[in-house]
Amino acid sequence: MIKAFKLEWLKLRHYKVFWIILSLYLLTLLVISSAGPFLLQWLKSQGADIEGLDPTLLPIYDFPDIWQNITWLAGVSKVLLSFVVVISVSNDISYNTLRQNIIDGISKKEYIMSKMMLILFLSILSTAFLFAAGVINGLIYSNVYGVSYILSELEFLAAYAYEIIIFCTMTFLLSLLIKKAGFVIVILFLYSLVFEPIITMNFLYNPYLKDTMAVYAPFLPVNAINSMIPVPFPKYILREIEDNVPLSAVLISTVWMGIYTFLISFILNKRDLK
Amino acid sequence: MTDILRIDNLNKHFGRIKAVQSLNLEVKAGQVYGLLGPNGSGKTTTLGMILDVVAPSSGTFEWFGGKANVDSRKQIGAILETPCFYPYLNAIQNLKIIAHIKECSNHRIEEVLLQVGLLERKTDQFKAYSLGMKQRLSIAAALLSNPPVLILDEPTNGLDPQGIAEVRVLIQDIADQGKTIILASHLLDEVQKVCTHFCVLRKGEKLHEGPVSDILGETNAVELVSDNQNQLEGVLKDFKGAVDIHPEKDQLVLELADGISAADVNQYCFEKQIVLKKLVTRKNSLEEEFLKILKEHDQSI
Repeated sequence: MIKAFKLEWLKLRHYKVFWIILSLYLLTLLVISSAGPFLLQWLKSQGADIEGLDPTLLPIYDFPDIWQNITWLAGVSKVLLSFVVVISVSNDISYNTLRQNIIDGISKKEYIMSKMMLILFLSILSTAFLFAAGVINGLIYSNVYGVSYILSELEFLAAYAYEIIIFCTMTFLLSLLIKKAGFVIVILFLYSLVFEPIITMNFLYNPYLKDTMAVYAPFLPVNAINSMIPVPFPKYILREIEDNVPLSAVLISTVWMGIYTFLISFILNKRDLK
Repeated sequence: MTDILRIDNLNKHFGRIKAVQSLNLEVKAGQVYGLLGPNGSGKTTTLGMILDVVAPSSGTFEWFGGKANVDSRKQIGAILETPCFYPYLNAIQNLKIIAHIKECSNHRIEEVLLQVGLLERKTDQFKAYSLGMKQRLSIAAALLSNPPVLILDEPTNGLDPQGIAEVRVLIQDIADQGKTIILASHLLDEVQKVCTHFCVLRKGEKLHEGPVSDILGETNAVELVSDNQNQLEGVLKDFKGAVDIHPEKDQLVLELADGISAADVNQYCFEKQIVLKKLVTRKNSLEEEFLKILKEHDQSI
């Protein structure tokens, strides 16, 4: 495991693009997790009110609700983090270093392991970063204090870590299939932020489709991992609280994870590296 | 001698194209084995299969008498065609990755860079290298773990004449240390100069195999030049030891009967009061042999 991680580390530690993308993502996490008060101010200045309530009074940074709120927001921007995986894999393909690595003496399994260690590293790093950002913002803005509140509902952070792992594994598979980094990035953007959300909406709400297709919506790959952290904001309007990580979404996502890893190893073992 | 590599009935088909057909090969310890063939004859595909980056359609191969492939590859320094490195890393950083994969220490990095003449450029990024320097770095990478077996695919590609000569000396030095080398090349001269054994591939089929020394050697043909070629030709027509005589450009080529040597020709001409300006016994070259092998197989098809 350490050997696999070190291989990836040697490849990336002097690579500027890697550090730039990683810093941009962490910066994005910081902005997203601390922009709440400004956003609510802006809503207020636009004259918005929530059932007669001043939006700035919404307790979005209260422990433990903060965890669901910021992990959901951070999940939206995960596609940016996955670019690290895209460049790492497509570099190995375009520079032909994947082949050279194998020739030099690693197995394809060890190669996959090195990329999975990178993904695990990205997931742990961004989860830790998000946790720190959450604690700091919460200590500033939360109306509720106490270690027991801070440390409850941390399952959303675990769900976020898992979401990153699965999404990046999907990215790994796409990079192997498509090979060109630019293409993969465009497709990731379009599919995860445009196509699949539209397909999901159609399955759920299109009057001609919803009767037959709505049951399939939870099985769509990106929708499944997104659903591990339910959209938190309705609770402020409907007061109907969905503040658990839904087990069904975790199970469906795990099945997708299995499919991705199977396909990755199938493709690498089958493909001639030329 | 122990078996380094054994290939049994190896095949590779890309769709309808048969890149390698029923190939059998054996490479023994200490041999410098040349894999010869025109472009597209299956040399690189064969090397790709024995290095586990191309999946064989059928057949088997075995390294070091049956050692696991991943462990075997750590014992092999190999370059296939173009040099493959991370362009944003410098020579040392790139070689560190290889040392990590091969589980050998970093202390030989400077040594191999010196060996290939890249030490002064060791902190330059790979992308700033010329083709010749890239090629040198891949040779350095192959030498890094001091492996008992080297696989070199067109190692002098892209090098200038001086670089080619240096690489040849390097290969010779390595061979003299008792290492086994498998060298794929279409440069026959290169193979003739460094290899002990060779095989000829064409369209994925092995046409010929044997020691290089078997085919190099003297022929029965002698090249002659004197001040008066017409007179020389007239005189030589009466020479008993001649089988055939024909002019070739500004020289005469004399085919000698068995048992007749160039010395006999010289003696005969001298007696006839002709002084020869040139008297050379023709030698076989791998190139002629190679073309002959290809031609024989054309006819037999």
